[in-house]
Amino acid sequence: MSETYDFLFKFLVIGSAGAGKSCILHQFIENKFKQDSNHTIGVEFGSKVVNVGGKSVKLQIWDTAGQERFRSVTRSYYRGAAGALLVYDITSRETYNALTNWLTDARTLASPNIVIILVGNKKDLETEREVTFLEASRFAQENELMFLETSALTGENVEETFLKCARSILTKIESGELDPERMGSGIQYGDASLRRLDRHKQQRELKKPDCTC
Amino acid sequence: MDLKKKLKSLIHKQDSQQSPVEEKISHDDFQREPSFTKFNQQQVTNPEEEQEVIDSIGEVYFKDETHDTSQLELEKLPEKLELEQIDNDRIKLRRQLQCVSRRVSELVLQNHPAYVGELQRVMELQKTLQLGSVICADARRQLSVARESFTTASLGLLANYRKRQLLKGLLKSLHTIKTMQRTDMRLREMMEEGDYCGAIQLCLECQKAAATFRHYKCISELSSKLQDTLDMLEEQLDVALSKICTNFDVHHYEKVQTAYKLLGKTQTAMDQLHMHFASAIHNTAFQIVLGYVELCSGTKETNFQKKQYADLCKYVTIESFTPCLIDLCKALWGVMRSYHKTMKWHEAHDIQTDSTESDVSRNVELSFDKRYIKQKLENGLIRIWQDVQQKVRTYILGIDLSEFKLDEFIQFLDLVNRMIEIGDEFCQSKSEGLQESLKQQSLNYFKNLHRAKMDELRMFLENEGWEMCPVKSNFHIVNLVEFRFMRHLNKDILALNHIDNSIDTNDTNFQERGGYFQDVIECSPFEIHVDQDENEDVFAGVGDVEEVERDSDSDSDIPDELKHDYIDEITGETHSRPGRRRITRSRSFHKNVSLVTNTSLNICRVIGKYMQMMRLLQPIAFDVLTSLAQLFDFYMYTVYIFFGYDLHSMDGLEINNRLKTTLLRIQTSLIVEVPLPSHTESTSQDNKDRIPQPHLSPIIDLHNASRLYGLAERIVAVESLIFLAQQLEFLEPHLETMIPSTKKAFLQQFYSQTVKMATELRKPVYWAVSSNVIHFDSILQSMSTVKWDIKEIMSQHNPYVDILIKNFADFHLRLSELSRHLPISRAAYEILWDHCIRLANRTFVDGYANAKKCTNEGRALMQLDFQQYLRSMEKLVDIRPIPDREYVETYIKAYYFPENQLESWLQEHREYTVRQLQALVSSVDHINKKARQKLCSMLEEAEKNKR
Ligand SMILES: Nc1nc2c(ncn2[C@@H]2O[C@H](COP(=O)(O)OP(=O)(O)OP(=O)(O)O)[C@@H](O)[C@H]2O)c(=O)[nH]1
Ligand SMILES: [Mg+2]
Repeated sequence: MSETYDFLFKFLVIGSAGAGKSCILHQFIENKFKQDSNHTIGVEFGSKVVNVGGKSVKLQIWDTAGQERFRSVTRSYYRGAAGALLVYDITSRETYNALTNWLTDARTLASPNIVIILVGNKKDLETEREVTFLEASRFAQENELMFLETSALTGENVEETFLKCARSILTKIESGELDPERMGSGIQYGDASLRRLDRHKQQRELKKPDCTC
Repeated sequence: MDLKKKLKSLIHKQDSQQSPVEEKISHDDFQREPSFTKFNQQQVTNPEEEQEVIDSIGEVYFKDETHDTSQLELEKLPEKLELEQIDNDRIKLRRQLQCVSRRVSELVLQNHPAYVGELQRVMELQKTLQLGSVICADARRQLSVARESFTTASLGLLANYRKRQLLKGLLKSLHTIKTMQRTDMRLREMMEEGDYCGAIQLCLECQKAAATFRHYKCISELSSKLQDTLDMLEEQLDVALSKICTNFDVHHYEKVQTAYKLLGKTQTAMDQLHMHFASAIHNTAFQIVLGYVELCSGTKETNFQKKQYADLCKYVTIESFTPCLIDLCKALWGVMRSYHKTMKWHEAHDIQTDSTESDVSRNVELSFDKRYIKQKLENGLIRIWQDVQQKVRTYILGIDLSEFKLDEFIQFLDLVNRMIEIGDEFCQSKSEGLQESLKQQSLNYFKNLHRAKMDELRMFLENEGWEMCPVKSNFHIVNLVEFRFMRHLNKDILALNHIDNSIDTNDTNFQERGGYFQDVIECSPFEIHVDQDENEDVFAGVGDVEEVERDSDSDSDIPDELKHDYIDEITGETHSRPGRRRITRSRSFHKNVSLVTNTSLNICRVIGKYMQMMRLLQPIAFDVLTSLAQLFDFYMYTVYIFFGYDLHSMDGLEINNRLKTTLLRIQTSLIVEVPLPSHTESTSQDNKDRIPQPHLSPIIDLHNASRLYGLAERIVAVESLIFLAQQLEFLEPHLETMIPSTKKAFLQQFYSQTVKMATELRKPVYWAVSSNVIHFDSILQSMSTVKWDIKEIMSQHNPYVDILIKNFADFHLRLSELSRHLPISRAAYEILWDHCIRLANRTFVDGYANAKKCTNEGRALMQLDFQQYLRSMEKLVDIRPIPDREYVETYIKAYYFPENQLESWLQEHREYTVRQLQALVSSVDHINKKARQKLCSMLEEAEKNKR
């Protein structure tokens, strides 16, 4: 089963503990709600090939632990992420308040061009809502983030979140705003596009004799 | 006598004569006196005399009646007649006559009453006869009258009567024929009602009847029609029989069987039945797969009908694979169950018939039939299962399942395994076909999975920040959800250690397994517990905070056994060198730490999953194990490449040869060769199953002195590797039970050559730190400024010793600092210091060898310096004894040897370089120049020989 895809994007899921990051990832990959979700230790990994605007994109997703004590072990995964899901729990203002810290982390540790989407999770718990849609979308606007509210429980908007983020990256690549060739962009060409780029690459390789750093 | 005759003849005469004449016979005739009485009875003589006289009567007189006695007497007379003579004769004759007459009269008188009685009866008879004669005459007369008046009429009558009778018979026949003709319709009705038995019976009766009416012309047509009907009936019966295959119904089957029995075709029925089963299997499988294929393909292609089953299977989509498989198995199981029920029916039925049948010849035939059926059915079992197996196998191998999620795959396995169990119960088959296909799919699936896991592992490694992942300090692999299964096994598996379980468990399974063909179970085995247990329990989620929470004492649910194991493992290692426990100073250096990285934690999880797979995918358990080993291989190799490889100076002393071999093995078997420009093609094929060498995350800086050359990361890397190795060692007995005993050698080799070598990696990894952290070059530098050809004994050591000690103290401080954030194992601590001290000792020897000239006093100063260093070191670190101190001391003291002793010493001590030895020789001032030259050339010679 040769997985063919045009691009490979490195994604990051960050946010306070209990916001539902692991559940979102699980829902996205397994199409199921993860019933007995415990706190993540360190990082977990998941990948899925999605179709975005006619291109198949493989998403490599790192689901990080939100607990404070894991901050140091999760930092190394920020590097070179092309996209990030910044997750908070709409029923917990605390998780919302922590967003700024997470955002700074992401902007400093990951690639500066990282595409971040703000995700208000647990949309299904409308009655317990503590953060309004309006408030969050204002925050998103101010920080140049995309924004969606999701429910890992019902699956609402979960896939859409990833797709939206990927789509945005793809448009940036096409507009030249993002350069996949740049080190640490979090973007790689997949087999499918490699074949297309074969000639290109061979020429480039002649110029770049050694890139193992 | 004569008289009797006469009477008889008389009666005869009377018969022949007219009876009326007889009537005239007078009885008086007989009552008269006989004629001879006329003669007087002059001579009454006595009886003797009389007898004499009678005797004298000539024979002739008694001769016959017709004889003329007179004539005779006359003839007797002589020619010459003599009177006297004649008279004599006459008298004599007379006397004779008298005697005879008397005698006759006597006799007559004697018999007269009898005569009278007899006569009387004759008379009566005569009367009766006359009467009979009258009757006869009368009857004759009457008869003739009757003859005349009756004959013609009665004949006509009789003839008519007979005709009537005949016609009556004909009418009956015609009625029967008519019914027979109507029977046809009735037969059809009965067929439709499924009353085959009745229909056949009726049909057969009709045929028999038809045979008796063969002489009618219309019958021939009818009987051929009947034959047709019978044929049709048989066809219908066959159809009915075929329905048995998919849905066995006792009543239905009983009817069909009885019908066949009536036809005398039980054996043929059996043959037919088997054919039906074969085609039922094929059709069922084909229809089900076709259904799914058509459903999924939409309307794109319509000629699936014409495809071969095997081709058709290739069109099943991955999404519909499992539901289709379930349906397929269910349906095929249904067919098998029908077969099973058929067998059961025959078994039960045979017992019944055994007792009822009494006719002997019939019995023989029956028992022959029975045996035939029994044989056929028993042989059929294997054939049926073979067919079923073939269908399922073809289906299974139709598509690539590598895209399946693990739980989906497990479900698939479960289904097929259930099918295998069914086969086992059905005919004790080992189901090689299915096993093989299962193995093939499992292997394919697992290979893909492993490939993905290895890629994932590489990503983990490339992103790894080599920071300790905060887990509780007594974290153990069994705390992970992935190892939850081991808690169920707990002690049992350890007890089972030496038993080859693969066969064993199979056997117990065999006994415990629920009968798939028991009548009570009406729902299919593919509907029971498919959805509940397997998915949830076996591959539960990944998060598991409770188990790994730092502060919690949550390992209470781990069996004590395991705790002991765990502790033993630790103490076993730390106790190996006695005496160390007394030292309390470096309590901050841990005996043993549970140190994990994100990556090694992930490996643990993957190992857990793999172990579960080994249990589930028994046939490929060994392949899984080798892959499991690769996970460790890869981690170990990576740690070496990242942290142990960039050594500037790595004396052979520091890297274990066996470790080297192991690392080389991993590299050649696992890591993509960096293609050389000259031959890129040849390696690409081999590289398919290998992984590119990972690159250390650029955020890690291993060259920064202020960060101790990445000591923290190095410790995390190596110690996490060693911790992983310990976890693996804990798993060894479990793993051993999971693989075939023939493969145990691999496991042992893996453990002895790879897992056990993990600790060896400390040396090269920490070497880089030890060799950089102390500035040996500058020490050497300052040593070279020292004068050794002094003439007086010094009481003060040289400042380079202080510099060195300062270096060490700095390092010690930083190490202690580090150990506050990071648990540093005792072993790491020792190795780090061991390296430093050995390097320092080397520096000492090097420095001393640099002394061009040396005096006894100078030598004493060297000793003083070294002693100072030792004393300071002993205060600083708790390494006892200080390694390699003899190395320095011996070198210093060799100076004092006289020439001949020095010569042999030089030959024995090859741990020093030639340069160092030469320097020693040339610095010795108590030997003359010539002798020194001799020793130097000897060293040179030896050096040459060595090469
Ligand atoms: N009702 C509801 N509950 C959710 C939803 N998403 C997650 N949860 C619950 O929230 C809890 C935390 O979810 P996780 O996904 O483990 O949280 P996390 O962000 O991964 O937490 P860390 O791994 O500690 O960083 C779990 O108990 C989930 O069941 C959601 O969309 N709706
Ligand atoms: Mg989580």
